[in-house]
Amino acid sequence: MKTLLPIGFVVALAAWGPARAETQILFLTEDVPAGLDMDGPTGSTNTSQTGFINMSEPLVYYAYGPANEEGVRTLDLGKFEGRLAESWEFDPESLTWTMHLRHGVKSCAGNEFTAADVVYSFARAKSVSGQAPTGWFVASIGSIAGFTRDVFKPGADRSLGDAVTKVDDYTVKIRQSQPNRLFLTTLSIYADYPYDSVEMKKHATEQDPWSHVYVNTQNVPSFGAYCLERWVRDDEFVLRANPAYYRGKPAIDRIVIKKVPQTANRTMTLRSLQADLTQRLTTREYNGLRTASGVTVAGIYGNEVLSVGLNFKTPPFDNPKLRQAIAYAIPYEQIARVGYAGAARKMEGQYPRVEHDYMRPATQYATDPAKAKALLAEAGFPDGKGLEKYPDSFRLAYTAEREATLGPIATVIQSALRDVGIPIELDPMPQTQISDRRLVKKDLPMALNDIEKAVGPDVTYATQLYFVSPAVGALNNFVNYNNPEVDRLFREALAELDDAKRTPMVRQIQEIVHQDLAWVPLAETKTEYAFRSNLKGITWHPENSVHFIDLSLQN
Amino acid sequence: MLFVARRLGFACLQLVGLALLVFFTIRAMPADPVARLVGMNASREAYLSSQHALGLDRPVWVQLVAWVSDVAHGDFGRSWVSGAPVMQEIGRTLPVTIELITISFVLAFLVSVPLGMLCALRPGGTADKATFVYSLFAGSQPEFWWGLLFIYIFFAVLGWAPAPLGRLDPMLRPPPVVTGFITVDTLLAGDWVAFRNGVHHLMLPVATKVFVLSGPIIKMVRQNMVRALGSDYVLYARASGLMPRQVAMVALKNALAPALTLLGALYGYVLGAAVLIETVFSLGGIGQYAVRSVLAFDYPAIEAVVLVIAAISLFVYLVLDLVHAWLDPRLSQ
Repeated sequence: MKTLLPIGFVVALAAWGPARAETQILFLTEDVPAGLDMDGPTGSTNTSQTGFINMSEPLVYYAYGPANEEGVRTLDLGKFEGRLAESWEFDPESLTWTMHLRHGVKSCAGNEFTAADVVYSFARAKSVSGQAPTGWFVASIGSIAGFTRDVFKPGADRSLGDAVTKVDDYTVKIRQSQPNRLFLTTLSIYADYPYDSVEMKKHATEQDPWSHVYVNTQNVPSFGAYCLERWVRDDEFVLRANPAYYRGKPAIDRIVIKKVPQTANRTMTLRSLQADLTQRLTTREYNGLRTASGVTVAGIYGNEVLSVGLNFKTPPFDNPKLRQAIAYAIPYEQIARVGYAGAARKMEGQYPRVEHDYMRPATQYATDPAKAKALLAEAGFPDGKGLEKYPDSFRLAYTAEREATLGPIATVIQSALRDVGIPIELDPMPQTQISDRRLVKKDLPMALNDIEKAVGPDVTYATQLYFVSPAVGALNNFVNYNNPEVDRLFREALAELDDAKRTPMVRQIQEIVHQDLAWVPLAETKTEYAFRSNLKGITWHPENSVHFIDLSLQN
Repeated sequence: MLFVARRLGFACLQLVGLALLVFFTIRAMPADPVARLVGMNASREAYLSSQHALGLDRPVWVQLVAWVSDVAHGDFGRSWVSGAPVMQEIGRTLPVTIELITISFVLAFLVSVPLGMLCALRPGGTADKATFVYSLFAGSQPEFWWGLLFIYIFFAVLGWAPAPLGRLDPMLRPPPVVTGFITVDTLLAGDWVAFRNGVHHLMLPVATKVFVLSGPIIKMVRQNMVRALGSDYVLYARASGLMPRQVAMVALKNALAPALTLLGALYGYVLGAAVLIETVFSLGGIGQYAVRSVLAFDYPAIEAVVLVIAAISLFVYLVLDLVHAWLDPRLSQ
């Protein structure tokens, strides 16, 4: 009798439900933006980036490319086109870029975009006044003059100086400190998109002259396709089309982003066609939705990859033969099948294939347990004898919060390595602890990693991020890889603006890094989207956010 | 009065102890919140800059003094994740959870007490057997499992319940926030459409909670009633020729005290563990906020959430003590 009570309660209230409006979409996500300041505490979180990116606009960006076989539109990562900057020229003598800005661009607040906004935004980045200096970091990768580590020294001059100057209202000059071909790549990265300086200055205070608190907690004054309508943290984020957007009013008037943490609920709601778009489901859920009526699932191999990092500073991983033995022991196909139900493919180098300048290295590591055993013996550990001296090294760390995906993969690796004589233990640990040990302490001996994505989709950019030595400006070299030849080639490739001359250099970098097995690359995994079939225009972007300006609804 | 003052004083002492415990425990964890902050830009300089921005470069005693002084002035700081004042975030998330579990507790209580009495009056009867089976059944699976099952049945299969997308249809404009309780705010705004929508969205999470909560409460009421009905004073009441209903009411008053204790203990526990039901139904309540804060090592938010939940639990205990004292005047002596 009692069991019927909740059912009765349900039945009694079942008939109530609202109607839906048109030209708006409901996007179900694992979280909504926690903050909107890209120099703030959540600048490195994808869900926060999605909010910021849709409300702001780059100076330059990539041209659209063709759609892939599943219907996801790609970008032409070798071809920049003007956005807020209409055109530009570079003077190699003075290392100065002259950017000609577009006329008549209006922000959500109605202010016109001018050179003052560009100068303001770079000055804000160089002030390193936010909690995480992301704007400075990206500008430093582009070698903009003065964006060096010196800004962090006590009493350092953090003013912009003459690195970025206004020529007139629609022209700015940006000076570099050295020849660096990544300049345009860095301008395409969200961390250096211009703010509406007029609106920003209205919210500056004495303690917070660069309006970090306002941007992080209230709104992003900028020139993007969408403006903020409503924002309830941990719940929903609603955007409305900017009617004055310079590329024309967006096709969808209103975007409602709703936090639905359970992937099962996102799946069920989309299946019932009460939502329009969702992401980050399990492969099983994506596969289930493929057969649902009115729902499309499409994916693309972007820059999401899975690898194992073996720390060069942790013996015996400084032994190249041992690294190779591990690479030959890995069952790549099984990992793609167990972890991603086939929505993954073997990674054939240290860089995802989508990146500009990617070339497949001649050296390849196929699954070959016999060869792995031979290499293990050559490394001085026949049948694994001698490895017991390093009990702390053979612990495979991975993010505990990602247990559902990474746990089975770690188990596959554990069993494959045991078969060739390399016993390892699994060491799941919380995300915060992994970040601390990987990014700051750089002391994880062996770690499974699926979060590294270079937002600058370019081999040279990724090399600077992960593979050069600290002396050359390594930023995220968490395996402490160090090869002077790679450092030299990187310096040369960075300064080389001529594609024909640069190609052999980047080819050689990719070959060496893969021979050295800086990482043990496991798989490229698909970035997938599930959406109502009348939603068109899904496009892959390097930071893996959906850009709502790309979308339209078909009747 | 003295009784209340004594209880209040003791509650304050407990809060201070808990605050200190949390302050030191989170700092002893083997992880560093700064690493998460600096993200991809983890140069030594950037790390130190972020560490300084959070005030974590100061000795722990200095941090403690600064924190105690801020809290004493009612300032719990800003979240390291969102940059918003922690109290503002708790003010937003707490009512979501309080509304859900309070409605659930009231309903569970209203359902369980008569059922418990019914079972006790005829032990071994049909109602008693059915309740026994139900309690076993409801308690056999965790509540998030029931939540997912109810969503599957009532939303995906039958289509009676709304999609589990929070407190209101996302396409509906919510009322201005006054109390934070969706049922109250929609009524204050005179928005009947939103009120009905809010109640409709509360339906499944409340049903799940009532379903899971009622089992132990019914059992507790039943057992205490059985004990009370077998006592000398009930025998005396019967011998004095009181009507069965009057006898039951005498027994109920005595049986309620332990049930109330259980309710109080359950309330604090359910408040702290609300994350499961909130996650299942996409309700951005205090449980999700707490878990989010812990995973991000958001010190100011963790400290404030623990204190607020503890304070509410202590407040509930205090109220129960007063009710107990009213039910059994010997306690306040």
